[in-house]
Amino acid sequence: MRGVIATLPFLRLGSRGTVPLAWRNLVADKRRLLRSTSGISFAVLLMLLQLGFRGAFLDSSLAVIQKLDGDIFITSSTKFRFGRKDPFSFRQLYAARAIDGVEWARPIYGEWMISAWKNPWTRKTYNAQVLGFDPAQPVFLLPEIAARLEQLKQPDTAMFDLRARRFLGTAEDGVVTELARRQIRVVGNFSLGPDFTTDGTVIMSDWNFRKFFPPPPSAAGYLGDVEFGVIKVRPGFQVEDVQRALKQALPASIAVRTKAQLVALEVAFQNGVSPVGPIFMLGTAIGFIVGLMISYQILYTELSDQLSQYATLKAIGYENGYLVRVVLLQAAFYGVVGFLPAWTLGLIIFYAIGEMALLPMRLGAAISVGTLALTVGMCVLSGVLAVRRVLDADPAEVF
Amino acid sequence: MAETNTGQPRSMVQVEGVNHFFGEGDSRNQVLFNNSIEIPAGQLVIMTGPSGSGKTTLLTLIGALRSVQSGRIAVLGNNLSGLQGNDLVVMRRNIGFIFQMHNLFDSLSALENVKMAMQIGRCPASEMRRRGTEILERLGLGHRIDHKPKALSGGQRQRVAVARALVNKPKLILADEPTAALDKDSSRTVVNLLKELTTQDGCAVMMVTHDNRILELADRIVNMVDGSIRSDVVLRDAVMICEFLRTVELFKHLTPHEITNIAEKMKRKRYGRNEIIIREGDPGEEFFLIGQGQVTVSKRVDKSEERHLATLSTGNVFGERALMADEPRNATCAAASDQVEVFALDKADFVKALETSATFNQQLKSIYFQRQ
Repeated sequence: MRGVIATLPFLRLGSRGTVPLAWRNLVADKRRLLRSTSGISFAVLLMLLQLGFRGAFLDSSLAVIQKLDGDIFITSSTKFRFGRKDPFSFRQLYAARAIDGVEWARPIYGEWMISAWKNPWTRKTYNAQVLGFDPAQPVFLLPEIAARLEQLKQPDTAMFDLRARRFLGTAEDGVVTELARRQIRVVGNFSLGPDFTTDGTVIMSDWNFRKFFPPPPSAAGYLGDVEFGVIKVRPGFQVEDVQRALKQALPASIAVRTKAQLVALEVAFQNGVSPVGPIFMLGTAIGFIVGLMISYQILYTELSDQLSQYATLKAIGYENGYLVRVVLLQAAFYGVVGFLPAWTLGLIIFYAIGEMALLPMRLGAAISVGTLALTVGMCVLSGVLAVRRVLDADPAEVF
Repeated sequence: MAETNTGQPRSMVQVEGVNHFFGEGDSRNQVLFNNSIEIPAGQLVIMTGPSGSGKTTLLTLIGALRSVQSGRIAVLGNNLSGLQGNDLVVMRRNIGFIFQMHNLFDSLSALENVKMAMQIGRCPASEMRRRGTEILERLGLGHRIDHKPKALSGGQRQRVAVARALVNKPKLILADEPTAALDKDSSRTVVNLLKELTTQDGCAVMMVTHDNRILELADRIVNMVDGSIRSDVVLRDAVMICEFLRTVELFKHLTPHEITNIAEKMKRKRYGRNEIIIREGDPGEEFFLIGQGQVTVSKRVDKSEERHLATLSTGNVFGERALMADEPRNATCAAASDQVEVFALDKADFVKALETSATFNQQLKSIYFQRQ
């Protein structure tokens, strides 16, 4: 096994062919390696968690958008995020339907403020996100909803999110409770999950929505205002072309966005306007700095212990460049070796947090590779700082 | 510079007028004063002197571990003066260093520690294992090549360090107290190997040591005091000088110790045929012993004529009268054969010898006055 490791070419990078000094120094003292690795792993786990929270935070707020069956979305141009009520006139949907290339333009109604949901078991009320749609014009990509369109057409019915926060109560098929102080019967469940501002989601028909959340008397037209227009582009048409046509046809008070742009709007809000996105980046930065200090300490101590050895290398004719390569390579090894256990532990912790906090904590490729890069960068940077110790070593002092 | 047929310069080390300073500005402190020394191939040179006398500083300058500040140093034909940074580093690759501490990497096996030196040399990777094993075997570590330093005794570790210094077959080896940490047997192994390298491979070895067990193997002993070379004795010469001095009437009654003291202070000088060694009328500065060749003594009788007084040869001395009487030279001495080698003792040392040895003083004077 030892022989196999020694022959791996990447371990020899700084070592001119034969003696893999950086690797040997890394593994020479197993207890020290364990100590050092656990220190670095701690920082890695900190970064993984912060980035995981950030990812979960963004993903959860995007979950509902991802489940919408449309290519283009029209909203009020002042709407700055999904879960903030800012309706526009239904009339604009008719205008959109007249555009060439529009397969359909379907409404979604939304209510976030006056939508008190009563936990059927504790009888306590909490605000839920309520979305309404026309069962004859489905807009959700959730198969559970597609299977229950007939039930939703009945009066005073709704479907409830099984992954809503626990305090909203588990309301399965047949449970009767209250929404906005009116009795409501649950006719099925779907799986969506909460985000940082929404605790649970109720989905109902447009007809029921009107009944539960009647529009103000001044509202014009039969169904009044809508929150989203979900537009499907007819096969053979380019999304961009249709989007351009819609923008021309609709007034400036209406924003026309592709799905990606709607996602980008939400991400921009979470990262830029809400304080939560930056907090996790700050947390990641703190993890990075903590890790930087830990690995600097490790490397500095190790180089100090071997100062006369490195000075001897200089005395027998090794240039500074070689010493720098050895130190940085060893630092990079520390990064990789520290990352692996942290990542493995991260898998377990992410799963546990995901289940407990109902957050989509995913240790995906982006977070994994990103954190690995941060970790190696962190260790190499600490190596750059610590290598001065060796460069300052005077070979004449060895004599 | 004279070249031998091996392509190596005859002189392994040339030091000329080297001064060295530590510190800057007001705290600037001179530690070496106008030192010159030349070391030919095949010499085992031992440097002695009290600590702080500058011998290690001189060794680090010769080893290209420090930049030369003042004077000239050439090592293996390469001028070190003015070199800095990586240019200096490259020069070190031709020199074998043996340090007081072994400074082995704990993480590397004995062979790998030796390989670290081979990597910087010209050894092809395929040869490294064979050559590294060979030198370790020669140092009695054949069964320990894969051991880490922690699994080796102090003596074994130092021998690994010696193997590391010698594996690239350097023509110059610099060693600082290499046997300080060694037991008697290990010392002997290491020193015998170094001696062998000088006699068989024509290496030059410069070694700082206080170990009397090694002195007997030295070809030359350089003594430094307060930053300058106080005596530089090639032992073969010293033995010869003592032999000659003993046969001379003047030194007949000196103890061997007194003779040795004089011999150690004498410096070798070479003259070609007809070259003047001392000139009549000049102030007397040195006392001479002829090591090899013939010297004519003549005295000016009048403006046109010089009278030949005597011809001196190997073992004879001259030049003592002017020093003792503090007079100008009363005759001219010139080389009378192609290669005349004389050993000179300068006035200060000559006078000092007179003062410190009453017997010597007495005898010299009585002999001198008998001659009158």
